[in-house]
Amino acid sequence: MTGFVYLGALLASIGAMALVDARWRLAFWRHPWAAAIAVGTGTALLLVWDLVGIGFGVFFRGDSVWATGVLLAPELPVEEPVFLAFLCYLSLVVVLGVERLLARRRPVDGSSATTAAGAAGGAGVAGAAGAVGPSATVDRGADAAPEVRA
Amino acid sequence: MTYLLICVPFVLVSTIIAVISLRRMPAGTRARRALAVAIGAAVLLALTAVFDTVMISAGLFGYAEGTRLGATIGLAPVEDFAYPIAAVLLVPAVWTLVVSPRRGSGRPERAPHTASDDDGRAS
Repeated sequence: MTGFVYLGALLASIGAMALVDARWRLAFWRHPWAAAIAVGTGTALLLVWDLVGIGFGVFFRGDSVWATGVLLAPELPVEEPVFLAFLCYLSLVVVLGVERLLARRRPVDGSSATTAAGAAGGAGVAGAAGAVGPSATVDRGADAAPEVRA
Repeated sequence: MTYLLICVPFVLVSTIIAVISLRRMPAGTRARRALAVAIGAAVLLALTAVFDTVMISAGLFGYAEGTRLGATIGLAPVEDFAYPIAAVLLVPAVWTLVVSPRRGSGRPERAPHTASDDDGRAS
């Protein structure tokens, strides 16, 4: 029964982070494909890293009561890619979230992009100028503005 | 030593991709991203110190003797901290490269990056 604790904790953490992502539209709720490719690339790289470590005999799987014991490869439990995807998703959400906070505190950065980005830029100025509470939707304009040019 | 040497190429690849993505950003965006990555790295390193220790003490995984440097933070071997560093460098960089692909096609990768170029990109 305890075998699913680790996997369950990982999935619950990913779920909670998805709620944060959805609420502030940081990654998958902003550019789904970019988020998927970024998390997929990161997970793949870290997984190769793990396999190299296993190949050199650095890591071994513990015999924990908290793990399912299901293996994808020798010494590679099914939980490992889930953990690596979690780590990559966390990295993306933290960096993009901090970036959003910095953009709010220093509207100068946003305004350089707003001059060209038209409507989205206008929204960014409004967000920088006022709004204390529900400003997340407006701030998105400021942050997203540099990407409008793409 | 083995574990540390294994980390080197992966951190190197992540760093190169992070630098490429930063070079393609306008100056203001680049400074903000660099700061966000630094703060994000600090957060992830702190979380790694705590949760790696928890995961190791829960017996989820172990390390062969003689492959590590030996230094630990909590129970976490210092080499383990290369994982969050690589992730925080690589993943947001790939995101940026996908969201805003390179403008134009003929521009050489190592072209000097001037201030006027940055202004041009923002407009």
